[in-house]
Amino acid sequence: MVHQHNGFVAPLDSSSGTSEHAFSLEKTFNQVPWRGQTMRTHPIATLLTLAIVALAVPVLAADGTVYGDGVTLEKATPITELLENPAAYDGKTIRVDGVITGVCKKRGCWVQITDPDTGKGVRIKVEDGVIVFPLESMGHPASAQGTFRVIHLTAEQKQKIAEHRAKEHAAEGGHEACESEPIGDTVVVIQGTGAIIR
Amino acid sequence: MRWRRAIVAIHRDVGYLVAGLTVVYAISGIAVNHVADWNPNYVIRTVERHIGDVPEGPAPVVAATVLERLGIDEAPTSAVRMGPGELRIFLDGRSLKVTLPGGRVVDEIVRRRPVLFQLNFLHLNHGKGIWTLVADLYAAALLALALTGIFIVPGRKGLGGRGRWLLLAGIVLPLLYVILAT
Repeated sequence: MVHQHNGFVAPLDSSSGTSEHAFSLEKTFNQVPWRGQTMRTHPIATLLTLAIVALAVPVLAADGTVYGDGVTLEKATPITELLENPAAYDGKTIRVDGVITGVCKKRGCWVQITDPDTGKGVRIKVEDGVIVFPLESMGHPASAQGTFRVIHLTAEQKQKIAEHRAKEHAAEGGHEACESEPIGDTVVVIQGTGAIIR
Repeated sequence: MRWRRAIVAIHRDVGYLVAGLTVVYAISGIAVNHVADWNPNYVIRTVERHIGDVPEGPAPVVAATVLERLGIDEAPTSAVRMGPGELRIFLDGRSLKVTLPGGRVVDEIVRRRPVLFQLNFLHLNHGKGIWTLVADLYAAALLALALTGIFIVPGRKGLGGRGRWLLLAGIVLPLLYVILAT
């Protein structure tokens, strides 16, 4: 005997032991094709379970959470040194250590790492979506690695940056809209490949 | 026809499997589509407060004074001097920008948007790792849904009739936009 339901043809459970004409909730329930069979774990269910478990465990290093490729250089370059001699480091792969004092609020696509001893900071920009820094990382000690770049801005670029900053500030309360940092002719940035946030 | 029964079965089962994820991607898709106008992940509230002149001192000492005057009984994650006239105090989900010595405080409180943060986390694949594989499988499932969906209904309401024109419209519309916009 077969039971047909929505085009699905499956043998009825013959182990229910109830009369074919006797109506009972149990029988009706058992007539659902998947009922009454030995519970087996489907491979897809196993895969999904593994995926959920893996997601629940963030990539944790011994001393913090790793983002992107992490940090491989053992020695950090002082941020003050980078800011005082930017040309000497242009294009070089460097590591900086400090405290996170700013995070891209909408996309998590950059963090500002500041040396707590000097108050000097540098921005680590990562490719949108490749690494996403959480806003909750504000104030946490961090190390970041990437290529140091000195960028010479045109007047048009400066204008665009100013407009972008003003728009961001206005969208989030507008308190600092009129006190954004002035934009110089050059900016320095680290094109980040990885970080560890503690 | 046997082949039509097969595609109906595929469409039905794959449809059930990815229905939940489709809802996740659709809701998050709308949310992040308008990222220029709002923050889809966080609610950020800023409040300006004034606590009077703050005496000079090392960052932890000044931070303790500020927190006491604000009535915040929480150990800060860190306190950083950003310059002679500014101290930043970081707490859990909150940061204080203190202008010194005047005592103007910009209190920024951040909290995750409930549910939407998690939906965006999945949709934008912030977790990386194995979720990349899940997202790839989901994309393949969507492809299967689209291709099987075309052939489910026979006759006038299917490809033989209005289905053909709806299918064409769905292809022409994005194509037209790409031609005009690029």
